[in-house]
Amino acid sequence: MAKKVTKKVTKKVDKKEKIDKSKKLINLLKNHGAQVYEDLENGEFPKFSIPNRSISNIIYDKKLRQYILGTNTSLRSARNSSQLRSFTQLLWLAFFANKLTHEKKSSTLRDVYYSSQAFAIDFEDQQESDNIIVDLEAVLSQPREDFYVFPEERSSIFGDLTIEYTIPGYEGKTQNLSSHPDGYAIGPSMTSAQLADTSAELVIAIEKGGLFTRFVEEQVDKKFKSIIINTGGQAPRSTRTLLKRLHDEMGLPVVILTDGDVYGEHIAMVIKSGSANAAHLKGLTVPDAKWMGVWATDIDKFKLPTIPMTESDIKRCYDLLKDPRYQEGLWKRELEVFIKIKRKAELEAFSKYGLTNITEKYLPKKLEESKSY
Amino acid sequence: MSSKETFNQISPSEFFYRNRDLAGFSNPTRSLYTAVREFVENSLDACDHSGILPNIHMTIKAVDPEKPDPKQYILTVKDNGPGIPSKHVPLAFGTVLYGSKFGLKQARGMFGLGATMAILYGQITTNKPVKVKSNADGKTRFDFEMKLDIQKNKPVIMKKQETPSTEQGLSVSIVLDGDYAKAGTKIRDYVYQTSLITPYATITFDDPKGEKFHHKAIIRSMPPAPTVIAPHPYGIDVETIRRMLVDTHYQIPNVDDKMIEKVRKELGMSKKKFTYDEIMKKTEKKWKSLTRPVRVVISLMSFLEADFEKLQRIRIEDVDLRNNKLTYWDYSTSQTLVADMDVESPYYKQLANTVQGESLTHFLNKRFQRVGPTAALEFCKFAKFKPETRIGNMTDQELVKLSDALQTYEGFRSPDPTCLAPLGDGPLEKGIERRFEPDFMAVVQRTASAYSGFPFVIEMGIAYGGKIETRGTTVYRFANRIPLLYDEGSDVVLKVVKDTDWNRYKVKNDSAPLIIVSHICSTRVPYKTVGKENVADRPEIEKELRLALQFLSRKLSGYMSKKGQAEMAKKRANLYSKYLPLVAQFCTELSGNKKEPNYKQMIKEEIAINNAGENKEVEKNG
Repeated sequence: MAKKVTKKVTKKVDKKEKIDKSKKLINLLKNHGAQVYEDLENGEFPKFSIPNRSISNIIYDKKLRQYILGTNTSLRSARNSSQLRSFTQLLWLAFFANKLTHEKKSSTLRDVYYSSQAFAIDFEDQQESDNIIVDLEAVLSQPREDFYVFPEERSSIFGDLTIEYTIPGYEGKTQNLSSHPDGYAIGPSMTSAQLADTSAELVIAIEKGGLFTRFVEEQVDKKFKSIIINTGGQAPRSTRTLLKRLHDEMGLPVVILTDGDVYGEHIAMVIKSGSANAAHLKGLTVPDAKWMGVWATDIDKFKLPTIPMTESDIKRCYDLLKDPRYQEGLWKRELEVFIKIKRKAELEAFSKYGLTNITEKYLPKKLEESKSY
Repeated sequence: MSSKETFNQISPSEFFYRNRDLAGFSNPTRSLYTAVREFVENSLDACDHSGILPNIHMTIKAVDPEKPDPKQYILTVKDNGPGIPSKHVPLAFGTVLYGSKFGLKQARGMFGLGATMAILYGQITTNKPVKVKSNADGKTRFDFEMKLDIQKNKPVIMKKQETPSTEQGLSVSIVLDGDYAKAGTKIRDYVYQTSLITPYATITFDDPKGEKFHHKAIIRSMPPAPTVIAPHPYGIDVETIRRMLVDTHYQIPNVDDKMIEKVRKELGMSKKKFTYDEIMKKTEKKWKSLTRPVRVVISLMSFLEADFEKLQRIRIEDVDLRNNKLTYWDYSTSQTLVADMDVESPYYKQLANTVQGESLTHFLNKRFQRVGPTAALEFCKFAKFKPETRIGNMTDQELVKLSDALQTYEGFRSPDPTCLAPLGDGPLEKGIERRFEPDFMAVVQRTASAYSGFPFVIEMGIAYGGKIETRGTTVYRFANRIPLLYDEGSDVVLKVVKDTDWNRYKVKNDSAPLIIVSHICSTRVPYKTVGKENVADRPEIEKELRLALQFLSRKLSGYMSKKGQAEMAKKRANLYSKYLPLVAQFCTELSGNKKEPNYKQMIKEEIAINNAGENKEVEKNG
């Protein structure tokens, strides 16, 4: 019962935080706009100071257990003819983000690219507009989700979790996420919703859609009192935000199940401690999340059928060996085993021993194990 | 060795007939193109050497236009050159290996064989005679129709006609198997490019489809004609020395009209007709005052018992001292005759002296360029020859030794380029300017250099932008004012162009409207193949080409950066007028202001700064 009360308190704080956050963002945008206005009025060329995101300015913060940006910044000035275009693009995006935030309308990355065309901003391709979006994130130190820009969604969620929408037109409406067996897409309405209630005691993040469906079929949610999330490969930021909230606000532990290869290991690591790409943002990580498998050592232990690693797989292993986060414990150990055996196994490999082998044998064993590390 | 026997048994024309591929007559396409080249180049050479501004009219007409290619075409090339005296016409066009181009000077064709080959090819494929119309004196035109007797290597005149005419020049017309559908592009390119490198010539081409290509002369002055000079010691082989020796110690003057005139003058017998006896009598009186060539001619006359009229009808072929025989060709009877020489005659000594030859030092000094009397003596010391050695008495071994020493001796000065006739930077510039109308152009003429004894000069031009329609680097290659159109792949000029890193010169190689005109002038262009379409990469030539191209590229680079700056300034101005209004609009909305900030002045100032920069540039150019 005490647990529930805590949740209610969290909820209120959250709502207030949300409004504050929104207000803060709008103020931030307005201030930037006003600065540019003032410069022009004074006959001066306006400029933005953007935290430098080059490799040399990305530092691993041991305390935060994630990558953060150093103190280097670069100036983008309207005076410089080679920067004028991207300066204008950045200002336009701020203007566009301001509109989205005011109207509480969400937009995908692709939408942003097309919206720009109404203003003769001429992004050459979506890559360019995506880069400008990251620039604005860095200038504001706010993730794009806060100004209502989302990626195309491919991850989903299933389990006994009740949410309450906050987006316009759905405010106050609730939804239980175990009513539809295909799961629910994790989009802007999901990440911005209030997390109202759950009977689950665990979140299982799984790398692949196929296994997600299997887990729903096998009622893993009921058998293990869990919420199942399909990350669809590398977890998108909205999914990572949701995972963080499930952990922080609902107090649920998070375990991660991936393919038994170096990429799988890294998917787990990114959920746990973020990516270098998002070093300019905080609040996307679940430092207590646990990688449950498939480990390199599991391959032998569970006699899984394997496929040989490719050149680039092996290169990736050696690259990660240099990463400060892979310097100890489980992470280092498994990586070294991968390098030693030079073979990998997919989640589907368990099917060799029957379709339910993974949920009936592997999962309980690993869950039990996970309590001890 | 059987092939050599065969060669010995056949006449030169039969040899060429059997090996016509060598001369570029391998198929109807190539043959039509080669025939065009040979006739046009002969015409241009003739005009050049007579100092006449060439006006050349070429016509190609199908005998039966309805037939598909390959088919018979009539090729006619008419020029305003010096023409050929009527008595030389049959030999010039009716025999193989009759040519006037044996000296060492720059000319388009090497020996004048090509035209005869074209006639031969026409005759083989169509069995039609060649029609030659020649007017050498501006009074009478002689029209010939003739064929070539291949076995005997002799002309067969089928028709001859005289017409009074004031229009000097030569017209040659042949019928031949050709393929204009395939050769057309190359022929039009050839005509166009020839006009580019010969800007003082007017060239007109009426093609079989009724199209007229007229390239009018751009300049009215001709570059100075090349002079004939002696060879340089480097690059001389044993065979050449042998030929030179034969040539020297048989230094029997060419008994032509000019020579006879000279003899008459020195004897003081210019006007009237004289008998043989009268001439000899006068000779005895005047002997001491006569020049050496005249003495030799009179000595010959004495053995032939010839008066001036007889002398005019013959050509001396051989003076054989061992057997005391004098061989000569009689034009009037068309046969070779032999006369005995009396050893006792005082005139015999005169001939023998001439034939035995001069001293080695004298020979070197006189027959080679860049060898003065001192150099000749020094060389003899180096090669361990006695300076007074008579060249007529040298053995084969001595000749080899001499030839080797000439190659290895380092004391000779570099070759004399006066035998070369580069176009000159003025005409080249004009040619490029008028044909391409580029935005930028530069030309350079390098100083003369030499590869293994042959002097050469590189001329090069570069043009960019303007009315140039091609994209990427287009290279026009010329050698001795001939366009090179085939086999460009392995050419040294293209190699040098390809090696150039155009980015360094601010040129985008694949899209730039860039033209390079390269002209190699040499007494002997080192062609890679018999087809004479690509130049071999001799290091000396490659180096000169590279230097020329670097010089021009640097100039182009200067132009490009100026152009780049101007474009950049304009682009900047455009950028500000495009983006600043947007910046103003967004920040106004973002900051919640009602009125846009006052930014327009900033754009004006930015444009003003740029304009000032551009004006400065113009002033500098002016």
